[in-house]
Amino acid sequence: MEKALVVENLKKSYGKLEALHGISFEVAPGEIFALIGPNGAGKTTALRIVATILQPTSGTAHVYGMDVQKDAARIREIISYLPEEAGAYKNLTGLGYLSFMAELFASDPAIQHEYVQRASDITGLGERLRDKIGTYSKGMTRKLLLSRAVMTRPKLAIIDEPTSGLDVVAAIDIRESIRRTAADGMAVLLSSHNMLEIEYLSDRVAVIDKGTIHDVGTPQGLKEKYGKTNLEEVFVQVVRQ
Amino acid sequence: MRRFFVVLRKELKEMLTWQTLIPILLVMVLYSFLGRVINQEQKKQAAPQALAVVDLDRSQTSEMLAGILTKANFKVTTYTEGVVGDIVRKVASEKGAAVLVIPQGFEAGINARKPQTVQTYTILRSFSLLGMQGTFKLDAALTAMNDSIGDMYIKTGAPGLDPAIVKHVISAQSFVTVGGASAEGDPQAIVSVVMQQTMVIPIVLTLVIILAAQMIAASIAGEKENKTLETLLSTPIARGALVTAKMMAAGIVALVSAAAYMVGMKSYMGSLIGTSSGTSATVGQAIQKLGLVLDLRGYVLLGLSVFAGIMVALSIAVILGAFAEDLKSVQILITPLMMMVLLPYLMTMFIDINTTSPILKWFIYAIPFSHPFLAAQFIFAHNFTMVVAGIVYQFALFFVLATVAARIFSTDRILTMKLNRGGRASRLGGWTLQREGVSLRIRRK
Repeated sequence: MEKALVVENLKKSYGKLEALHGISFEVAPGEIFALIGPNGAGKTTALRIVATILQPTSGTAHVYGMDVQKDAARIREIISYLPEEAGAYKNLTGLGYLSFMAELFASDPAIQHEYVQRASDITGLGERLRDKIGTYSKGMTRKLLLSRAVMTRPKLAIIDEPTSGLDVVAAIDIRESIRRTAADGMAVLLSSHNMLEIEYLSDRVAVIDKGTIHDVGTPQGLKEKYGKTNLEEVFVQVVRQ
Repeated sequence: MRRFFVVLRKELKEMLTWQTLIPILLVMVLYSFLGRVINQEQKKQAAPQALAVVDLDRSQTSEMLAGILTKANFKVTTYTEGVVGDIVRKVASEKGAAVLVIPQGFEAGINARKPQTVQTYTILRSFSLLGMQGTFKLDAALTAMNDSIGDMYIKTGAPGLDPAIVKHVISAQSFVTVGGASAEGDPQAIVSVVMQQTMVIPIVLTLVIILAAQMIAASIAGEKENKTLETLLSTPIARGALVTAKMMAAGIVALVSAAAYMVGMKSYMGSLIGTSSGTSATVGQAIQKLGLVLDLRGYVLLGLSVFAGIMVALSIAVILGAFAEDLKSVQILITPLMMMVLLPYLMTMFIDINTTSPILKWFIYAIPFSHPFLAAQFIFAHNFTMVVAGIVYQFALFFVLATVAARIFSTDRILTMKLNRGGRASRLGGWTLQREGVSLRIRRK
């Protein structure tokens, strides 16, 4: 079966600073794969390269067999990317924003309508979707953006810190949404520094620190391998080694 | 193409909000209002001035002079007795413009053909530009009086001779020549009408270029700050279409505001240059004949030059906007562009491009925004080669800059270039433009 994502020896430098020292991992279709690590570990850089908005210094990344550099335009048709703490256009209403994004992905009005309908259902914002985004709380905006990211049924969703800065209730809502949509066969690449969240959400995780992946496995497998009770302790152990 | 229009529509929705439209409408209304007020003030100035004549001579001649002054459009009040100082104070308190004192023995002196002196008291009340313009027209009053006495001398000294011929035996029939065409008319009146046409364009253009540039740079910086740009870049819209849609939206908003400013400005400038009195029919005909009005070809050329200028500004603003990390840094980044617009604006106003030194001339030509400012001047001077050359230069520059802008957007430079105010640079008191480690420092004194 073709892999959703294959990353091989990926390197990225910003001037003298090398953010990624050659990382490799794979994500299968329908799998939720997480990069866990502290701030500045290189998670966002890796996600941006897969989302085709940064170019790697060396190494490759293939999304369903397509190269992120050579086939960027084709990859953008089948992925969606949700940056950390992203905003939306404050002058648009929630519905206006969803329609705008739907029109960028599909030319058929019926399909656009279907996308907007699906996103509206996922947000759970109801009538508030008719209000301007400027009036939304952080949690509402994040729900809107997440529903936007999954409304096109992308084959790969790239989600950076899905719940950072959100309260507990909003965070649980978001995690539920990701779980449900992944069950439909969508592959998810996400990053987080919240290890408990990752433990709940992910099928497999990669421990990344200072631009290097130290270990990859299922949360359960990693806990057993290092003899720890949670991923936070695993992370500390892996990084110390 | 479809995705291009989707983004264009969204950009217009973002840019054309009440927050942006109200200031534009306000400027339009304000300038129209200002123009109307100045017009009214000027009409007030054109009304007869109140002049008090203190006739201490009480003679036929002095009485006649009061009549002459009335004819010369002064509102004359005559006093035949009283102390001059008291009268001046009284007139001043009653908002009169001036007091003219005809001394005792004036008629006797005139009859003896001896030079005579009258005293005038000019009452200054306002020191505004228009108020000072309205200061007592002493020259007009003196000329009227001297003319009438002079006519009297000629009539008595050389009967049968027409005083008008004695004083103005030579008169001029004036023609104005532009390029190959000549037409009869008053040069000053013609110059003032042409100036009105050429002055409005640069003012409006300067405002519009700065507005458009700020809008697009702010749009890019805003998208970076909100991280909506990252989302947009990961969608299937072509990067070229994204940049073009953004530029076109800013261009459309700029043109809408240009039209609004033009309406307000035209009324304001019209009153300043004094078309309130109306362009006389002969001046109008002369201007037509000399080709000093913009015909269809003129409008097309001027329009193209202005359009090219706006496009160059937008492409520069896109590149500068790419360095911005947030809305705050837009102002700093856009400053060099503003300088580039203001410099030729001032220079083309005060420097005659035809006679200035070659170095300065080519320096002005090299600035792309000089060309729309100069276009009207060149069109009126029938120098179409220069207009076309200017347009070609601007479009060539636009294509180079637009390519650079599209290149920035199609690579990850759009996210990695930044105006950095922090760390070492900040401690040294400066700004750095950074791109993946390559940095340019701008020293801040």
